[in-house]
Amino acid sequence: MNGNSFSATAPLEVRGVTKLFGDFRAVDDVSFSLPAGSIYGFLGPNGAGKTTTIRMILEIIKPTSGSISVLGHSSALEVRQRIGYLPEEKGLYKKMKCWSVIAYFATLKGLSRKAAKQRAFELLERYGLKDFATKPTDALSKGMGQKVQVLASIAHDPEFVILDEPFSGLDPVNQQVMEDIIRDMAKRGRTVLFSTHVMQHAERLCDHILLMAKGRKIFDGTLAEAQRTIPRRVRIETEDDIAPLRELSEVVSVTKSDALWELELRENADPQSILQTCFARGIRLRSFNQSEPTLHEVFMRLVGPDAKEATFR
Amino acid sequence: MKYSLLVAWREYAENAKTKGFWLGMFLVPLIIFASIQVPMWLQKKGTPVRYYVLVDQSESLAPVIETRLHRSHQQQVLNELNDYSRKHVAGTNTARPPSLDQFISQGGETVYLEKIQPHLKADAPPFKSPRRDFQQSPLPAGLSKDSDLATVVEKLRPYLRGEQKIEVNGQWVSLSAAILIPRDIEQQIVRPQNKSQRSAKGSISIEYWSGNLADNKLRDEVESSVSTEIRRREYLLRGMDAVAIREVEQTYVPFASLNPKKEAGQEAVNKIDVIKQWMPSAFVYLLWVSIFAIIQMLLTNIIEEKSNRIIEVLLSSVTPGELMMGKLIGIGAIGLTMVGSWIIALFTILTWKSGDGASFTGPLLNVLQSSNLIPMFSVYFLFGFVMYAALILALGSLCNTLKEAQNYMGLITMLMMVPMFTMTFIPKDPNGVLARVLSWIPIYTPFIMMNRVMADPPWFDLVGTTILLLVTAGGALWMAGKVFRIGILRTGQPPKILEMLRWLKR
Repeated sequence: MNGNSFSATAPLEVRGVTKLFGDFRAVDDVSFSLPAGSIYGFLGPNGAGKTTTIRMILEIIKPTSGSISVLGHSSALEVRQRIGYLPEEKGLYKKMKCWSVIAYFATLKGLSRKAAKQRAFELLERYGLKDFATKPTDALSKGMGQKVQVLASIAHDPEFVILDEPFSGLDPVNQQVMEDIIRDMAKRGRTVLFSTHVMQHAERLCDHILLMAKGRKIFDGTLAEAQRTIPRRVRIETEDDIAPLRELSEVVSVTKSDALWELELRENADPQSILQTCFARGIRLRSFNQSEPTLHEVFMRLVGPDAKEATFR
Repeated sequence: MKYSLLVAWREYAENAKTKGFWLGMFLVPLIIFASIQVPMWLQKKGTPVRYYVLVDQSESLAPVIETRLHRSHQQQVLNELNDYSRKHVAGTNTARPPSLDQFISQGGETVYLEKIQPHLKADAPPFKSPRRDFQQSPLPAGLSKDSDLATVVEKLRPYLRGEQKIEVNGQWVSLSAAILIPRDIEQQIVRPQNKSQRSAKGSISIEYWSGNLADNKLRDEVESSVSTEIRRREYLLRGMDAVAIREVEQTYVPFASLNPKKEAGQEAVNKIDVIKQWMPSAFVYLLWVSIFAIIQMLLTNIIEEKSNRIIEVLLSSVTPGELMMGKLIGIGAIGLTMVGSWIIALFTILTWKSGDGASFTGPLLNVLQSSNLIPMFSVYFLFGFVMYAALILALGSLCNTLKEAQNYMGLITMLMMVPMFTMTFIPKDPNGVLARVLSWIPIYTPFIMMNRVMADPPWFDLVGTTILLLVTAGGALWMAGKVFRIGILRTGQPPKILEMLRWLKR
């Protein structure tokens, strides 16, 4: 398998998928599609339906209605050798040796036993677990065990990888390693879908974001599009009167906390015009801040109170 | 199928590495070996020499007891000599072994050995004469055979309790028994005509003192030799012909036990028939132990995957059906390996041991080789395993922790116990109502039919129950598949029965 040689068909298309558990709508009419070679962040509060959606994509459970196509096939099992999966709850066979766990999962994905063994040792060496290769997995720390499991899920070099909460339980150094693994795969043309609670990871890694809450899709688009969903803000620090700024057509509202003024701007407004006005009207600025909204802010605004209300997981 | 085999291979390889597997593999052959070897060994050297004191104040019975003990020792010597000559004399020994009387009168061991000496094979080891089990010990110092019996008892008490040792031929040994015969024992003889007077006269009797109640051999020898002697004297006393009486005592009518199920000319019931009747019970036990051991293995295995959530990764690679089939094949193969090694061990041990003694192991081997016990065992092992495995897979997929599963396992174990209880009844009436009814209950079919297999059960039972077993096993597997697929990803409470029924419809 050489990088960048995959067909243009979307690795994943989800169309109008609904999943009911009894009367409970875990996933409600969700549609989205992944462009090949992208890193797709799957965000949402607890109980948003992320894991259920992922399980349906992998055909571990069947959707109540709607259809899913993975790598151009209607059943993920038909292309299981080309998919990698890291589940949310991690676990390994306790008595098996690290290399043999990785090799076992790789053989289930179609590698020959010999190739799988070679690949297992190669990966363990590359990601700093060489010394643990022949140790049973219950000798590993939680973080190391998780790393082994990540390696097991990508040992067969899949075209399409689904990682459910890959960062949870990792220390900052290993979170960085995980980010590198994801970037590296995308660089070689693989498509990565990962779910997370930690917005910084999504912000740093993702081209696209899918946001779910209460089983519904709330947002689906690029990072820039996501940031545009909330109004731009400019924060200025001054002791002068800012009355002239209030009159500008770009400014929607002004709020004050301590010495800091927060100006909410109209959509597509240019923050530079605020700065120009300040100079023109002699408002002396101690600081001027026109940073983009963070994904965290986007998340909080879009999900709102739902983030706390969610009960079902 | 490829994926099932991959799963099966891992199950096999990983389980074959566990200590439990190897323990099971070697423990059973060890038990088989021990159960054959230990009794033989115990017989040879297990019981230590027992020392007794004999105080015979009547001065008429001691020689009788001595003679009897001597004769039984000589009988033992003769048996061993016969065994020895069978093994080590070259060519076929056609000479009939001597009777005990001939043996003793001709000069015993020495003469016997001289006679066979020229015919011995070159590599024959020297003959080891068996020890005499019961040796007389002199009275401890300060006691003579004329002392008052009550004093004798008092003095001997600490020896008999093991608190003091007694000196015999310069060795200090513990005293095992004391036989005390009162002076006027002749007056104590109970006859039918004076039976009623006995209690009035008080209780003077031959006393046998011993702290060891389990080993009655010495007591029996003493009692029977004394009774025989008393009766012999009584015949003489009443003027009867002792020789004629001895001849009368040795008359008998031939009695044969025959089995109508066997070919004409071979109806005689012998040791082999008895073994044939009881051997299936041993196999039922083996079947039970092996099935129970591996379904335990299967349960732990499935629970591990469930509680570790490994199952989710697996299910993204294989279908639940493939996973289940893989486990069934893998763990089944583990079971077959274990059971196979047991059977091989059984044959090896029997072949090895059927040389010496040959009284039990030879016929046993004969039965195993000539009957369909082993093939039937293999068939019932496989079918039984598949059915119980299906039950366990379904159960395992519903439980999240081993503890939870063990509760249900207790119930299954209880149900499984029934054939263990009936194991000893069924050979007595292998085609009776109880046996037939139980045979038709699929979860008992493998065990009960195994129990009946040597008794030529009707074809209807044999074929019918097997079909029913297969249908049930298939059904259980199908059901397990359904429950497995849905139950495996459940967390929290096990589902209610009603919910499970709904799953089956899907």
